[in-house]
Amino acid sequence: MHGLFRWSSKWWPGAIALVVLWALATWTSTEPLEGDLAARSNAAVRDAVLDKKRVTVAGRDVSFAAEAFSADGRRAALSAVESVPGVRLVNDETRLAPEATPFVWSAERDVVRVTLSGSAPLPQVKGRLLEAAKAGGGNVEVADQMRLARGAPPRFDAAALLLLDQLGKLKDGKLTISDDKISLSGMARELGGREAIASALKNLPEGFSVAANDVKAPPYVFQAYKDPVASTLTLTGNVPDKSVHAALIATAGRKFFAEKVVDNLKESIGAPASFAAVMGPALSALSRLSTGTLVVTDREVKLSGDALYDAAAAQIRAGLGKELPPNWQYKAEITVKPPSAPVDNTVCQQLFADLLTKTRIRFESSKADLSPDSLGLLDRLTETALRCPTANIEIAGHTDADGDANANQSLSERRAQAVADYLVRGGLPANRFTAVGYGSAQPMAGNDTEEGKAQNRRIDFVVK
Amino acid sequence: MIMAYVAQFFWGWLLASLLLGLAMGWISVVQRGEGVTGAWGRALWALVGVLLALAVSQVVPGRPGYWLDLGLVMFGLYLAGCVVGSWLRARVVARTAPPA
Repeated sequence: MHGLFRWSSKWWPGAIALVVLWALATWTSTEPLEGDLAARSNAAVRDAVLDKKRVTVAGRDVSFAAEAFSADGRRAALSAVESVPGVRLVNDETRLAPEATPFVWSAERDVVRVTLSGSAPLPQVKGRLLEAAKAGGGNVEVADQMRLARGAPPRFDAAALLLLDQLGKLKDGKLTISDDKISLSGMARELGGREAIASALKNLPEGFSVAANDVKAPPYVFQAYKDPVASTLTLTGNVPDKSVHAALIATAGRKFFAEKVVDNLKESIGAPASFAAVMGPALSALSRLSTGTLVVTDREVKLSGDALYDAAAAQIRAGLGKELPPNWQYKAEITVKPPSAPVDNTVCQQLFADLLTKTRIRFESSKADLSPDSLGLLDRLTETALRCPTANIEIAGHTDADGDANANQSLSERRAQAVADYLVRGGLPANRFTAVGYGSAQPMAGNDTEEGKAQNRRIDFVVK
Repeated sequence: MIMAYVAQFFWGWLLASLLLGLAMGWISVVQRGEGVTGAWGRALWALVGVLLALAVSQVVPGRPGYWLDLGLVMFGLYLAGCVVGSWLRARVVARTAPPA
């Protein structure tokens, strides 16, 4: 023992070499050690439910910062880091995530993106909401502006997922959960979307209630475009149902005798009241235009285009408004097409014949009242008569052979006169027209078939 | 636990300390001269005591704290090497020296 004490005084010089060895060891080992401890600490809390996790290591001391969502979770994460082999001390920089009062979360949709903002209760709930937004919004970009916070109402995630399901039904808008109150605003993508959202909201989890549902239905739009170059009438937008749809196409076929009807209509609920009643007069007015657009939006009818002559423009501007049901608005932007070049009498006769072979002037059954379906044809006849200012024109009325000959004679005269009156109202001098009735004396076809009779009931224009 | 981790991570440096201690202990038995004695010796042992106290109480933070721990472990193994080395050399010397 005495020997050890004596010898120990001679061990000190070796400590100089030991210090050199120690310096080398610290020089080479510090950073690998810190890296190793950081990796082990991160692995220890990998599965812990934490936000803003940060591990920094100095020597063997770990600074551990994170936001936990419960006191237990916070303690568990801390002790997991403390039990990592090699860790000397843990500087506890953890805290509980802030509590949001009120707990507000919202999803907002515009044309290009869905933005999720406000508070989400847990990282995995946040992840699920983002996925649901991607799935529900179609191919839109999803922007995440959510913060994690405590204080969510029970079953928050179920309510939020249900709302995200509705996002696809919105064109734009905002869905908000504030504690247990839900509010919605925006515009439905399709007619009926608002109703679909309202019925989906009945399945909200227990405890949640709808504070405000301000989702608006998109406007109910019907459009008709008459294109004189392509000779088409294009119908787009909405109609209330199948029967109105079919009736509309039939009406359009009668009124637009020279045009092909292109039907792009979609049947959809949400039509304004008296939609079907408005269509007849509105299409009649459009049929009188050379080129024109008819737009029916909710309770407004907008007609724009070129009339064939001045008087027609004035009649269309003033006329349609009176035929619409009450509470409907009428806006007309009618201009007059430049007049066509005058033609001589032979060409004039040819033009009349061309028009009248395409279709006939129609009257109310057994009456001398002009049918609204024939207004487009009558305007074209008027325009043609305006192009041959020197022609005197005989307007000849004919009937089929049904019924009393005298009555037919009288009807043919009155019908011819009604057409002549229409032309005069269009601004032509009355003395250029002679209205003559021939009764059933000059049939074009046999009176033994319905088709033949229909051909015989006619008005002819004869240039003299 | 901590020692086990350090030993696993730095066994090379620790082994070097131990071997250095053995060598120093082996030499010290037959070396002539006084070595570090008196006030100097006591001061050095006191320094070791202070450093040990600091390490045990874990008051030195971060990297310096780790360096202190590592230094003390290396010093401890060095001392152990010295003791073993001196003892072995003393036995060898006793066997070969002519009886006084």
